[in-house]
Amino acid sequence: SGAAWARGLLSWARPERWLASGSLFPLSCIHTSTSLQKMGKIGKWEKKNRIVYPPQLPGEPRRPAEIYHCRREIKYSNDKMWYLAKLIKGMSIDQALAQLEFSDKKGAKVIREVLLEAQEMAVRNHNVEFKSNLHIAESQTGRGRYVKRLRCHGKGMFGMMKINRCHYFVKLVEGPPPPPEPPKTGFDQAKEYVQQLRNRTLVHTL
Amino acid sequence: VLVLVRSPLPRLRALLQHCWGRLERGLRPSVFGDQSPPWGPALAMQGPALVPQGINDAEVPGPLESVVWMAAPKHRRTIEVNRCRRRNPNKLIEIKRNIDVCPECGNLKQKHVLCGYCYAKVKEETRLIRMEIHKKEGGPLNAPTVETVVLYEGEKPTEKDEGKRIIERARKRPSWFVQN
Repeated sequence: SGAAWARGLLSWARPERWLASGSLFPLSCIHTSTSLQKMGKIGKWEKKNRIVYPPQLPGEPRRPAEIYHCRREIKYSNDKMWYLAKLIKGMSIDQALAQLEFSDKKGAKVIREVLLEAQEMAVRNHNVEFKSNLHIAESQTGRGRYVKRLRCHGKGMFGMMKINRCHYFVKLVEGPPPPPEPPKTGFDQAKEYVQQLRNRTLVHTL
Repeated sequence: VLVLVRSPLPRLRALLQHCWGRLERGLRPSVFGDQSPPWGPALAMQGPALVPQGINDAEVPGPLESVVWMAAPKHRRTIEVNRCRRRNPNKLIEIKRNIDVCPECGNLKQKHVLCGYCYAKVKEETRLIRMEIHKKEGGPLNAPTVETVVLYEGEKPTEKDEGKRIIERARKRPSWFVQN
């Protein structure tokens, strides 16, 4: 009964009810599973999944589905996680999962779980037809909350160490991955230079 | 020579000042006129031996010179320089091009490594066979001197299995465990 009273009290405060999303969230969940540290504050990345576009007109080009997913406070360094995020940027989801499966890094296992969760979400909630038809549009890391701790050395000496945590954000978009940009050749650079010279205008002249 | 005289009599003081003026004018024919002569306090005794000045200090090595100078960074590395180093292509993770599909189970495997799923399957079955062996032997150091044969449900030992120890497993023979 106490929980029901608390639920009723807090139900007006939840921002989910204010959004015109049209779907009813069950009142049984008070706690949001995302980043409980800051008083149950829902992060920006989690909110990106809530935007609902109006139905597309018949003549419009098809808007591909976008799925945002993240994991907070992973016990791993931000700098080290960045290398993995840079690896899978722009790959198809199957290729990314393959690369992460055979990577020796600790963060690879975490990112693999996040990608599988996101794939599952895409198929279940976001109306994606083929689970392989996704590619990774954005994959970023953020720094989590650091904690300073004592690290004991010999002879009574000590140093302060930082316990690093990070967040990982991924955006999956339906469709095949975009082709990689061809590297810039010297010829292209020369063409650009000549174009810049041609764009110059003469001022204060006839 | 600095002489401090306390003269109680003003007359004596005036006389002394007069004498002093004469002394100044006599000893140094002052060209300055208005300016005061550049006399300042000086030592009572003069000579080269009184104040030792010419000894070089460089001969005695101080405590700072016996230490080897250690390398230390002179300037702070900016974040731009740090990023150039950390994001250099040789530091990025290379994509692996030796990933294939296992023909048995369909999971991914590296070309030069056994398939992880198939290996786990075999490992599990081996563990169960070993448990059966342990039950049969009853304790450590009881391994027989003959060969061992594993038979599954519905299998009989053939003539080739004469004299071998038989381990029974209560399940159908797995497809990957070929008999003989």
